[in-house]
Amino acid sequence: MISARKKLIVYKVIIAVFAFIVAFMPSTVLRSREANSRVVVELIGVDGGDKVSVTAQYVMPTETQGATSKDVVTVSANTVTEAVELLSTALGRRAELGHCSMIIVGETATPDHLATLMTATDVTADVYLAAAEGEASELVGDITEFMKKTGVTDADFIAYGVNKAHIATNTLLDFLCDIGSASRSSFLPIVEMLEEEGSGGSGGESSGGGSDSGGESSGGGEKSSKKMTGMEINKLALFGENGRVGIMQEKAARGVAWVSAPIEKGILTADVDIDGETVKNVSARLLKKHVEIKARPDKSIKITIRAVIEPHGDKFNEVDSRNTAEASAALKAGFSETVKSELVAAFDASVEQGCDVLFIGKEFYRHYPDYFETEFDLANTEVEYEVDISVK
Amino acid sequence: MNDAMTQNNNPSPPASSGGSATKQATGKQLVATVFILSVAAKLFMFPIYLIQSTGRDAYIAMAVAGGFDLIMLGIVLFALVKSGDRDFFTLLTDTFGRTGARMISAVVALFMFFKLNIGVAESLLFYADNVFTDFSVSIMIFVLLIFFISVGMHTLRAFCRLNELLVPLVAVGLIALVTVVAMTGYDFGNILPVMRNGKAFADGLCEHTAWVGDFTPLVLFLGRTDMKKRTAAFVAVGGTAGTAIAVFFSVVLCAAFGNVPILVDTSTNVPSILQFSVGNLYGRTDMFSSILWSVAAFIGNALLFYSTCRCVAFTIGKSAHMIIACAVCVPMYFIQVFAMTDQTLFSTIVTSRAASVAVPILAALIPILAVACSLRRGKNNSSSAQASGDAEVVSDNGENGGSADPLAKRCGTEE
Repeated sequence: MISARKKLIVYKVIIAVFAFIVAFMPSTVLRSREANSRVVVELIGVDGGDKVSVTAQYVMPTETQGATSKDVVTVSANTVTEAVELLSTALGRRAELGHCSMIIVGETATPDHLATLMTATDVTADVYLAAAEGEASELVGDITEFMKKTGVTDADFIAYGVNKAHIATNTLLDFLCDIGSASRSSFLPIVEMLEEEGSGGSGGESSGGGSDSGGESSGGGEKSSKKMTGMEINKLALFGENGRVGIMQEKAARGVAWVSAPIEKGILTADVDIDGETVKNVSARLLKKHVEIKARPDKSIKITIRAVIEPHGDKFNEVDSRNTAEASAALKAGFSETVKSELVAAFDASVEQGCDVLFIGKEFYRHYPDYFETEFDLANTEVEYEVDISVK
Repeated sequence: MNDAMTQNNNPSPPASSGGSATKQATGKQLVATVFILSVAAKLFMFPIYLIQSTGRDAYIAMAVAGGFDLIMLGIVLFALVKSGDRDFFTLLTDTFGRTGARMISAVVALFMFFKLNIGVAESLLFYADNVFTDFSVSIMIFVLLIFFISVGMHTLRAFCRLNELLVPLVAVGLIALVTVVAMTGYDFGNILPVMRNGKAFADGLCEHTAWVGDFTPLVLFLGRTDMKKRTAAFVAVGGTAGTAIAVFFSVVLCAAFGNVPILVDTSTNVPSILQFSVGNLYGRTDMFSSILWSVAAFIGNALLFYSTCRCVAFTIGKSAHMIIACAVCVPMYFIQVFAMTDQTLFSTIVTSRAASVAVPILAALIPILAVACSLRRGKNNSSSAQASGDAEVVSDNGENGGSADPLAKRCGTEE
């Protein structure tokens, strides 16, 4: 006979198993059963203007067991919700947006479009956002071509690339939260595709627009003649409440990354002065950082960055070979100066473009709301920078 | 195992006769129930509605509501200690007579039924919006009704045992969720500044008082719980811990949505917290995390259903529990399918002035009534310890020391 205690343990195990089945059933069993009636959308592009245009990169099963192919379709409608419904019509099956891992925001798209995507469709709030310099539909087509070529299966690779590139990232919820904050500003990394030289388009390092169609579009687009060789993520698109307000160039964008983004061991470079000589482009890997933005009672703001870096490479060896203590001090000073100059560039660009992407206004609103509402002016705010670099 | 109303000719049995052997719930089970009740309703739509109406101050409103409920829990605990071996219905009968007790029981039943409908509607809305989007609510609800009927047919002891099995799962899940959220980091600064719009806060809080009263069903534990020396302290700790968790999740939701309360809806409540924390690199973790509070919500609703059924049974003087459970399910089905699952209608009903006034008043009055009856019973006992009573005892069949076939003596038309 089983004792009551053992019975209780058996019941607990049964209930735990049942609970896990219930938890997973909706996302696994039911979905797989309905696989033939749905199309999984991995990447969405949104463009605004007179009509809202939604471009979807979707996955189709092929005859080969377990294999899939990617394609792109673009639809236009008066509203985002209408466009999403049209996607299903265009694809002949329900467009499943719950697994979308990236949204590309076109030049003319607004935060309202994104808010509607989050609240009125299955798109989850934690999806990564990136910006196209021009139309999102073009970039989605180019990315699809690139993914086909390289065999990349998941659009998250862009987020990965962005993190490594020391560029600030943003998710849908965070972006909308920033826009809704007292700063009324936000940013998105701009993704540009690198083309093979002489393959058409601008023929340079990046396409940035000027190409036709968006990959294999069932909406009637032509097949792209461009040959994508990679991605470039250097700039930030700046947004206000009503849409894009400008573009922030590389140096300032790196300054924003220092205060706004979780960075995964990105590579930094700096010029280091040692023994009266400047060693250019010493590289280091960022290991850890701590950021503090503090609004002070005298209505100035202090930005403090503490970072741990690990220098490497031949340029570092050149510096390090002289004298360890002196080299370490020189490295600290060199990287501190670089970080500070990036922060200054970010602040200056913010003021110039009227887009508070360092979220200084938000900080004042949190701690001095009356001052923020009556007197705050970003351009007249005094900013103190403190950068403390530790070399590992 | 049907409950029965038993004639108790010995209303104040010696302490030894009312020992733990005859109790329906142990102290441990009471702690587990209190913990579940403290988180069940407060992790669903309540924080969402509070954020929509009070913005980033929603967590303060949640803390106020939680504080109110903890005070009520304290009052119920006092009644539990003072009631001795007398259950709620017996105490009512002793104090107000049979007719008065039944009238009060009817009001309590209505209160429980209203709270039950809020809880069930929240569960259904969540599942309809997030999990089973293509599944009709009118069919989905049957699963819940079957569970409720089975709970209604069984004893408080059976309910407590079920609860005891599930609480560790819920507790571990919640602790894991709190840990993940704390480690991955939200911008908690978004909850600042505090109380910039006092009027909106006050209005929002007053409109959503229908969510208080989570511990009121505990009056059914009066006289049926084995209260040991430290049980009350552990229960208080359990309730406080659950309330703290609910407030913490409200803080997290306010940090995420404080700037954009307009974006909050049924698809962005507690399970989404995990998704926001760990990102979408691991798939739909929100689906998985929904298990954490779904179980708690089902149990919380089941206790409300059980309480409703027992109050109805006492009011009508019948103990046909299966029939009563089915009868309670019928109006609930129609209310849910034709009214409460419509979000606008649900919001209108729950935030109506009538609900906002009646619910907190009843949530406070019922425990206070229990305490008053318990104290009066204690006074009577001391003055006439030998007097025999003519009280009714609602107890579970044969488990509370009742007579072999008490139903025929007690219920309905025979009285």
